[in-house]
Amino acid sequence: MRLIIRDDPAAVGEYIGNYIAKRINAFNPTPEKPFVLGLPTGSSPIPTYKHLIGLVKAGKLSFKNVVTFNMDEYVGLPEDHPESYHTFMFREFFSHIDIPPSQVNILNGNAKDLIKECREYEDKIKKHGGIELFLGGIGEDGHIAFNEPGSSLASRTRIKTLAYDTILANARFFNNNVAAVPRMALTVGVATVLDSREVVVVVTGQRKALALSKAIEEGVNHLWTLSALQLHPWALIVVDEDATAELHVKTVKYFKSIERVQDEVEATHAALAKQGVDEPVGSME
Amino acid sequence: MTSPNGLICFTNCLLPQEDGALVQKDLWIDERRGVILDSQRTFFLRKERPDRIIDLGGNILSPGFIDIQINGAYDFDFSVYEGDDEAYKAGLRTVAEKIVETGVTSLLPTIITQERSLYPKILHLLRPYASANSATLLGWHAEGPFIQFAKRGAHAPQFLLAAQDEIRSFEDVYGAENLAVTEDWLMGGEGHDDTVGVRVITAAPEVDGVQSTIEELVRRGIVFSIGHSIASTEVATAAVQFGARLITHLFNAMPQLHHRDPSIIGLLGASPHLSSPSSPTSPVSATFTRTSTLHRVSSVTKRAAAAKGPQATSEAFDDVQTPPQTPVLRAQDGDVDAFELGLQKGKVADLSFERPFYELIVDGIHSHPNSVRLAYSSYPEGCVLITDAMKILDPNLKDGVHEWRDGKRFVKSGDKLYLEGTDTLAGSVVTLDKCVRNFSRFTGCSLGEAIKCATFNPAKCLGIEHKKGTLRPGADADLVVLDRKGKVLSTWVGGHEVWQKQSS
Repeated sequence: MRLIIRDDPAAVGEYIGNYIAKRINAFNPTPEKPFVLGLPTGSSPIPTYKHLIGLVKAGKLSFKNVVTFNMDEYVGLPEDHPESYHTFMFREFFSHIDIPPSQVNILNGNAKDLIKECREYEDKIKKHGGIELFLGGIGEDGHIAFNEPGSSLASRTRIKTLAYDTILANARFFNNNVAAVPRMALTVGVATVLDSREVVVVVTGQRKALALSKAIEEGVNHLWTLSALQLHPWALIVVDEDATAELHVKTVKYFKSIERVQDEVEATHAALAKQGVDEPVGSME
Repeated sequence: MTSPNGLICFTNCLLPQEDGALVQKDLWIDERRGVILDSQRTFFLRKERPDRIIDLGGNILSPGFIDIQINGAYDFDFSVYEGDDEAYKAGLRTVAEKIVETGVTSLLPTIITQERSLYPKILHLLRPYASANSATLLGWHAEGPFIQFAKRGAHAPQFLLAAQDEIRSFEDVYGAENLAVTEDWLMGGEGHDDTVGVRVITAAPEVDGVQSTIEELVRRGIVFSIGHSIASTEVATAAVQFGARLITHLFNAMPQLHHRDPSIIGLLGASPHLSSPSSPTSPVSATFTRTSTLHRVSSVTKRAAAAKGPQATSEAFDDVQTPPQTPVLRAQDGDVDAFELGLQKGKVADLSFERPFYELIVDGIHSHPNSVRLAYSSYPEGCVLITDAMKILDPNLKDGVHEWRDGKRFVKSGDKLYLEGTDTLAGSVVTLDKCVRNFSRFTGCSLGEAIKCATFNPAKCLGIEHKKGTLRPGADADLVVLDRKGKVLSTWVGGHEVWQKQSS
């Protein structure tokens, strides 16, 4: 696992945006072989989306050959509700980039048969050859997607009851009316995320600091579902200074040193690539 | 330049909202259907996104302006019909095609008091008219003949009428066909299903037979506007309770604000106390006596005015001085202490009726900037900007001496228009886009709030805010691009660009 620390959320967004752009461009996606990208909602990824939009507008990146899968959606909330994740994704990202609507996948929380909807979502991901890069965020309780504390770390896309913490946290989006917050969501499972070839997680703000330390400094534990990332071979967490508040100094120093070494290794690989040696840039581990 | 899939996305622009805010957001339209799209639904359900993207460089994309009172423009006078239908229609088309340079995409041709036999013909010719390359003609605004002699402005005194037979009188003058209930009236035209059409009648509620006809006119879908009137507070309030929803060119051709009988202007400040049906002092009547002096215009003056015929002044101006009113104040009776008072700051007690919309001519001449601001601060939701322009309106006309009619000539100097050799104002020549800019300066409101007074407010007054004056999905893609100073850069009607500023 790599942990990248940047000064503030904007710098985190810029780092991840550039990173995703580099990965998509290096992948050289085509209509036959599109880049499959997993996407989150919430406030943490907004700076990343902003930066990606800027890259698209500047002509440095295109989503014409990118297929996206979103992590989750509320159950029973109309698709055009201002707080639905359809609305969020359209407003914050899809409307500003060049992705064809047919390549966008978001779970349908209003499907008649929700179980079937989840099963088909998993099948669709498989049909696309799995997710190349899954971008995620976490909740204050360390949940990734809507995999609340106590979720099976082997879980797949399914119906999930929201934790009371999450309902309270989201009430601010529903006129502070706790009763108006949907109780259920459809979400990809922890195993769905772990299946993707690469996972990038954005963690910003002091309020996420405890979750971050639980996820990377303690053992794999279903009460902090992000900790499952410790089992993933190619995971990247990008955080701001605030989010490191609960980490040991040693942890921070260690990951900072990894970043330096990674940079050196990448430079070497780039030089090799120029000489015609084809080796993909991967994780240090 | 069209879009391959017929969809256009305007980006990098500020969109005026229905609450007067300016929001940075994209707007998607369907140029083939000529409507504004729900972009999110188009994306997720129709699975399409616009092939053509227009970067507006940070400028404002507003709903097209709506002028609900305009007498003519580009040398065509809506009130002049010379027996030739085709010539009249050609004149209408000319105005509709040219007016888009002022940001106006919908207008309501207004005819001032006519010889009565002309009404059925002219109103019939003024059916709603929409075309691909011009502003939409919404219907008609008949100003007169049921107006107050003492406040007739430039209306021909010999043609003014009372309405003794109430709705029959109205039908006799305007033509029963033209006063049919909206549905039948629209069916009678060439319009298709979703045509919007509106009719406005400006009349004085105190004129015999008018007050008791308001309800019937409103039932038929006609907007009743109080104007050219000396209605007392009591009469004006009753008119609104009967359904009047507009005041014609506020401040002009009506009694000035008197604190003891605030009359028509006072409706903007309609008090919850007096409007309450349960008020112990039943509305106004117990408080004030009528000022009957206003009705007594000497017959000599009347005859002299009649002999002179129509004057070359703005129709909105008064040419008869009305005597100052000093109503007699009676002591208020009733126990005001018997009523609950609000305890929550900022919550205004409910009125038992909606205050009417009011038109303002914001050329800096017809209403002083202070008066404009006073009206707007008292009731911002009701403010409707109009030009009330004469046929001389043409932004391309140079300052100087121009031919008018009957051998008369006029001098244009900016937004002022004089009869040659006099200092008599000859009417309004201000364009609506300029009114919007003036309004923002006069009142200190934001450009977005000023735009609202020329788009959403007039549409709401006319009951067409689902189609016009708004950017909500499903509305007509009638748009005007403004720079951040409010100058018109381009105009779109039904999803097509119909005018673009020539870069100089």
